[in-house]
Amino acid sequence: MRQEFESKRKRILVVVAITMIVCTLVFALREDKVTIDKVNVVNRPARIHPDYSGTVIPPNIAPLNFSILEKGSLYCVRISSKQTETIEIFSKAPKITIPENRWHTMLDDNRGEELFFHVFVKAENDEWNRFSPIINNIANEEIDRFLVYRKIYPVYSAWGKMGIYQRDLYNYDESVVLDNGYFDGGCLNCHSFCANKPDKMLFGIRSSKYGSSALLVEDGKGQKIGTKFGYTSWHPSGRLAAYSINLVNMFFHTTNTEVRDVIDLDSLLAYYLVDQKAVKTAPDIARKDRLETYPTWSPDGRYLYFCSAPLSWTDRNIIPADYNEIKYDLVRISYDIDRDEWGEIENVLLSQNTGLSILLPRISPDGRWLLFCMSDYGCFPVYQRSSDLYMIDLERARQSGQYELHRLSINSDESESWHSFSTNNRWIAFSSKRDSGVFTRPYLCYLDKEGKAYKPFVMPQKDPDHYNTCLRTYSVPELINGPVKVTREKLGNVVRSSPDILCDMPVTTATPKVTETADQDKPWLRERE
Amino acid sequence: MNLSPIPNCLSNRHLASLLLSIVLLVLFYLYLLFYVDLRLIYSCGGIITNFPVFAKDWAFFRDHISHPGGAIVYVSAFLPQLFYLGWAGALVVTVQAWLMSACVNYVFKTLNLSVIRFLRFVPALILLITYTRYTYHFYTTMAFLTALSFLCLYLKVTSSPASDYGRLIILLIMSVILYYVAGSAFLLFALLCAIYELLFKRRFLWGSLCLFFAVAIPYVLGVLLFGESVINAFSDSLPFSWKTLTFESRTESIMAIYILYLFMPLTMLSSTLYLKIPGSRIQTRLRSWAKKAKKSTSSPILRSLFESFVLLVIALAAVIFSSNREKRTIFAVHYYTCHRMWPQVLEAARQHTDNPFVMNAVNRALYYTGRLGYDMFCWPQHPDVLLQTGEDRILACWHKFDTQIDLGLMNMAERNFNECTQVFGEHPIILKRLALINMVKGNYGSARIYLGALSKTLFDSKWANDYLALLQSDPNLSTDNRIQYLRSIRPEKDYAVIGYSKERVLRDLLEKNSKNRMAFEYLTAWYMLTKQLEKCVRSIEHLNDFDYPELPRLYEEVLLIYVYSTKKPVQLVGHQPSLKARQQIENFSRIFNSHNRNKQAAFGELAKDYGDSYFFYHIYGFSGVRK
Repeated sequence: MRQEFESKRKRILVVVAITMIVCTLVFALREDKVTIDKVNVVNRPARIHPDYSGTVIPPNIAPLNFSILEKGSLYCVRISSKQTETIEIFSKAPKITIPENRWHTMLDDNRGEELFFHVFVKAENDEWNRFSPIINNIANEEIDRFLVYRKIYPVYSAWGKMGIYQRDLYNYDESVVLDNGYFDGGCLNCHSFCANKPDKMLFGIRSSKYGSSALLVEDGKGQKIGTKFGYTSWHPSGRLAAYSINLVNMFFHTTNTEVRDVIDLDSLLAYYLVDQKAVKTAPDIARKDRLETYPTWSPDGRYLYFCSAPLSWTDRNIIPADYNEIKYDLVRISYDIDRDEWGEIENVLLSQNTGLSILLPRISPDGRWLLFCMSDYGCFPVYQRSSDLYMIDLERARQSGQYELHRLSINSDESESWHSFSTNNRWIAFSSKRDSGVFTRPYLCYLDKEGKAYKPFVMPQKDPDHYNTCLRTYSVPELINGPVKVTREKLGNVVRSSPDILCDMPVTTATPKVTETADQDKPWLRERE
Repeated sequence: MNLSPIPNCLSNRHLASLLLSIVLLVLFYLYLLFYVDLRLIYSCGGIITNFPVFAKDWAFFRDHISHPGGAIVYVSAFLPQLFYLGWAGALVVTVQAWLMSACVNYVFKTLNLSVIRFLRFVPALILLITYTRYTYHFYTTMAFLTALSFLCLYLKVTSSPASDYGRLIILLIMSVILYYVAGSAFLLFALLCAIYELLFKRRFLWGSLCLFFAVAIPYVLGVLLFGESVINAFSDSLPFSWKTLTFESRTESIMAIYILYLFMPLTMLSSTLYLKIPGSRIQTRLRSWAKKAKKSTSSPILRSLFESFVLLVIALAAVIFSSNREKRTIFAVHYYTCHRMWPQVLEAARQHTDNPFVMNAVNRALYYTGRLGYDMFCWPQHPDVLLQTGEDRILACWHKFDTQIDLGLMNMAERNFNECTQVFGEHPIILKRLALINMVKGNYGSARIYLGALSKTLFDSKWANDYLALLQSDPNLSTDNRIQYLRSIRPEKDYAVIGYSKERVLRDLLEKNSKNRMAFEYLTAWYMLTKQLEKCVRSIEHLNDFDYPELPRLYEEVLLIYVYSTKKPVQLVGHQPSLKARQQIENFSRIFNSHNRNKQAAFGELAKDYGDSYFFYHIYGFSGVRK
């Protein structure tokens, strides 16, 4: 009898407890029906962070969540466009989180239209302020859905936690392609894809335990090539990849805003033939009196563009006094893939004409636009505040015989670098230090058919304040049209295994200046962001 | 209700056992609080390379909780932050030790191994040893505790009759949960369950199943489902993980942690092999020893007292043998230096004066107490440690990089603290410095990011938020005196370097601001240490740029050596070497000459009276030998 009573009492207690929890949750999560009837008009757009205003956005981008930088007790944002019902968001916090499904419907239905953010802020006097609408444009053309980048703390000498990540731009999913946890720490960098496709990629590995190597990923299979590739560019055929070998030295500034600087005391270009599993070079891309770097193929595969600077010093161990006078030219060389024959070097753009060092050339997949950086001096734009993006219309150059460059309007006072094109030529992703001067962030920018670049916007994050506290840099953002499907576990296994392909530079084909093991005893000197 | 009275002896035994535990834990707590002082471990300065960072935000929680073993990483990141408070940290470790002891006790009781109950304090003893040695293994010990508590739960749950299916489901659920919570520490649990099932319960099928789970669950959950590497899936939270073994500093006291992990399996194995075999020699001996103990100490309280005494002796021995006083000094000096507690720095440094990090801190403490020009050679000195530039890539003891900030060498400090971030992660001490450096340099964008990251920490968020607010109201930070001062001394001339010339660096500082007193004293000290008399005298001639009430003793000595050796006059208006100093150099010369200028022969006598003088350093090249 007593037991029955006890058990009944317990049941009642459980029911009461559950009811209380449910009521509390319902109360806590209830949505106040807020109406905005009377408003004060503020004749300026609300300040928001990140700055998603006046830009052109892809129709397949994740919601541009933002924080409103206006004081208030309640916030409301109405997102509207021509075709779709308005999305209304109320928030007690200034962080605005946009519902993903409705956002995508809106963008998809309104390609080519304007997108309005109507911001309302309830001020301390309990009155609503309505700010002028923030207007963005939705492009017709989609951006490649995935962005692959390396995340790393600002690099000096030591290697900490680092990894190559891929981000689905349609949402906020970020996954590790490979991080150095899979090979007991070390360095990985220089990821490069063939024609924006994820099924053919290369990246470099440096590990004290597993050696320096390049990882070749082809159709879901990874192979370890027993030599380290520097900056790499795939031939559009996928049959070979050109890469640089750089003897990098880092040095430091005593008072500059950017503490770090690097110099290639020596460099050359080589290329890896996938079918032959062999590395080669040629005299004109490995000249003893020149520094060659940043190779990039024209989309038709007939030309290799690269940067080249005179090598005037003989001692490859000390920083030359005129390090800040070293400026790179942009040149190209023809190549016949069927005969494996190289042509003559042609000048594209000379630093003596621009007064600046020309670096990081990339050509749009349609072959029309040549995008590159120019900075005051040197080989590494990321450490140069002066580094800006410039473009040449190759189509016009073909017609006029002259390479005319123009500086993109999207540049900031800080360094811009590491740009890549989307498959459809309409989008570029690049690294910019515009927000802080120290941390690179991935920016996306629309490029119209005439080569006009529109105001870029930072890659959206679920938490709009993400970049305010993120101490890692995002470097080498590469757009690809699908996810890298090889698992990190598989890639890790490949890194930890012995090389599948042993490549020695044949001394008979050229006279390489840089030995690949030249500075393996001091790997920290070869690291950069 | 019919409650039978508890037998007196039973209640007494329990009471005694409880008292013993309480006494030992209180002593444990007090030892951690007053001797070890866990605040020193919190501000480890890179000597401990795996001290965790913690952020009080959802993303940090989500990132950790979203993969196997993440929960224990999260807890092991949060709890050590309480080391900041000393008392709270000691409480955390004491509770951890108590829980370990309680779990071991429960296992022994359940397995009918009460005769070896005294071993329940072994894990606590191991914790004591690791903390006495100033090593950090919180994560692995926490993973151990979690595995152990799951074992207790398993023993408890399976002690009640249940069907095989029920038991299977329980084992499976517990295994999955444990693997998700504690990662590969699950292997310890699976092993202990297997031993229990195979050797204590003689259920071979169940034992085999436990071993099967040990392989299958990490593989399925870790590798297949969460994409972990096989190595990480099976070793991440165990002491032999590559994350521990790759770094030399993390392997300190690792043997103690191995013993901790082997303790339960070995105890259970040996107990079944020896204690459970009827008539085994160990069993007979233990039983007779237990009987004798019972007879000789008829009172349970006396028996407990005896046990306590034995345990205390063991603990004392462990503490004495594992003590590392030099390391303690380095930790203490680092802590006090970071908190700018200069008298305490000098006090702590007296224990181990010849450590380069300690020497560096001592010079800074002497400068701030106004004694660098007087007492520098009371301490061991070496030119390399006065200003450590970080080129040696030894990143431990972050206080040495604070010297660079204090001098005005922002870029040098920025480089070194950034290196520290790479190696040690986003430790608040590092972030605070980087935020400050960026504010001084006027890089407000990056300063805001460092402050933003810092605002997520537990104990430095106020500092960060105050600065974020100040940046809002006073964008140039013109009202912040420290930042204004640091800006006023920061050099302007930029040049490229691979290696720093300390002399040039210090001269640049004085060129920018001739009132940079620290740069003046360090440059003078540099000349003294490198015995560049001419340059040292030229430096001292600038003494009147500062408000020194008198000529510091060591400067007097420099001037006298210079004048006596070169016969050249010194231009120093208002300051002349005192009569006492003149007498001292004459006396010093007399003693030295009396030994026919034989350094070895004169050493004893000179060290006795002049071991703290520049006269002595100038002759012998070392200092800090005054008897």
